Amino acid sequence: MEALLQTLVNGLVAGSLLAVPALGFSAIFAVLRFPNFAIGALATAGAYGAWLANVGLGAPIPVAVAIGFVVAGLAGVAVEFAALDRLGRAGHLMKAIGSLAVGMVLENVIRFAFGNDLKAFDLPLARDIVFGPVRIGPQQLASVGFALAAMAAFWAFLSLTSLGRSMRAVADNPNLARLKGVDPTVVALVTVFLGAGLCGVGGTLIGLDASLDPLTGGRILLSVFAAAVVGGLGSIPGAVVGAFLIGITEEMSSLALAPAYRLAVSFAVIFLVLSFRPAGLLGRAVR
Amino acid sequence: MLLEATDLVGGYPSAEQIVKGVALSADAGELVTIIGPNGAGKSTALKLVSGLLKPSAGAVRLAGQDLAGRSPQALARAGLGFVPQEHNVFASLTVAENLEMGCLFAPREAKARSAEAYARFPMLAEKRRDPAGSLSGGQRQILAMAMALMARPKALLLDEPTAGLSPAAAHDLFATIRGIARDGLAVLMVEQNALEALEISDRATVLVDGRNHLDGPAAAVAGDPDIRRLFLGGRQSTPGPQGQ
Repeated sequence: MEALLQTLVNGLVAGSLLAVPALGFSAIFAVLRFPNFAIGALATAGAYGAWLANVGLGAPIPVAVAIGFVVAGLAGVAVEFAALDRLGRAGHLMKAIGSLAVGMVLENVIRFAFGNDLKAFDLPLARDIVFGPVRIGPQQLASVGFALAAMAAFWAFLSLTSLGRSMRAVADNPNLARLKGVDPTVVALVTVFLGAGLCGVGGTLIGLDASLDPLTGGRILLSVFAAAVVGGLGSIPGAVVGAFLIGITEEMSSLALAPAYRLAVSFAVIFLVLSFRPAGLLGRAVR
Repeated sequence: MLLEATDLVGGYPSAEQIVKGVALSADAGELVTIIGPNGAGKSTALKLVSGLLKPSAGAVRLAGQDLAGRSPQALARAGLGFVPQEHNVFASLTVAENLEMGCLFAPREAKARSAEAYARFPMLAEKRRDPAGSLSGGQRQILAMAMALMARPKALLLDEPTAGLSPAAAHDLFATIRGIARDGLAVLMVEQNALEALEISDRATVLVDGRNHLDGPAAAVAGDPDIRRLFLGGRQSTPGPQGQ
């Protein structure tokens, strides 16, 4: 029972860290209508930006997380408008394949610049916090706080600002949005910046949780994809629900299976959910 | 004329031209209905005027300003509103958010204009927090029109506004449209429900095979024996705005 409780807490932590990049992935899909597989490398780019700020410049962790957001956001905009936008003329599938290729290039640029060694953030040593039978690291708790704050800020942006409403409007009905005067280029730019930025925050939080290497983002790419698909591609609340479901299921599976099977479990969840709800848990059927 | 399209030619990419030289116009306060058989190019002509499709030839002028080939955003900014036949509201946004989306060019006016929309269409006030996707067909059309009016357009294009509505809901909507024109807007409306549309219209244009077949006062068009036989099922009508 204690192991189960501990695993559940680990799953909630993993889910909250996964939810941030899943939100970014889903937002980009909702507005630009293609799965951007470069988000893994963008998460890594953001994490390295944050690491440089923290270790190289002595920035405190909250500032480093913010820098991770900006670095990944700018990298995402550069990738979109320098490479992917052109591929979009050949269709969404070509853009998705292109994003996979650009992601690999970006990952190797990071490898070339920083090497393959593991990097760690400059964190004070601290004892785990113990709640009865459950232990949690103080940095893990702080990371969950950052993740929840990032999600709340994104939700507030979408709900309370004119630009956020325009993003949702384009996701809902792009032609009508144009008729109402929404500039699709501006909305695409803002969406990619915010979506990639959220991936950067996710990469940073994962780097804080363990360590950092050029594959940090690549390792979570399929789990992020699974979370977004299970929640309903393009659905913002769906991405969060999907991330928690995938995070908890992956952690729970470790009670019975070797860690190597974690991804297989994620895709079994996709298969199960889509068998009963083809549009995902909170997704809408594509018209 | 406040809104004028001349020699309009165009269609969908990688398809033959559907509109082959159409002239459309509406003056301030005037309601003009476009009728014609299926495939005549009525809806395509409206999309060419609205900027959703790019005309390959012809001119679109609004208050003397040439707008042909400009983006839908530019046309919206210039004062041209378009209510498409389908998917004309943001289904996942609330009614209030839909209205705010109609007021992007004057965000500071959004509250005051929303209040006016609620006063004009009380149903929208009752449902302001509901997602637009939960509204009935008639309620959606009202919201779509209210959203278009939020931008204070000079001219309004309506593509089959009563499609799929019950006769009673269609009748109410026609009264609303007549009221909108009476407020001084130039209204250009494509409508399958030709008989009732002509009853409330000032003028009518009949399109056949992508070209103007007949133009004139709605009463005269409705009284034309050929038009009555072809489009009005041979029924008598009492056209003219005074008729409703």
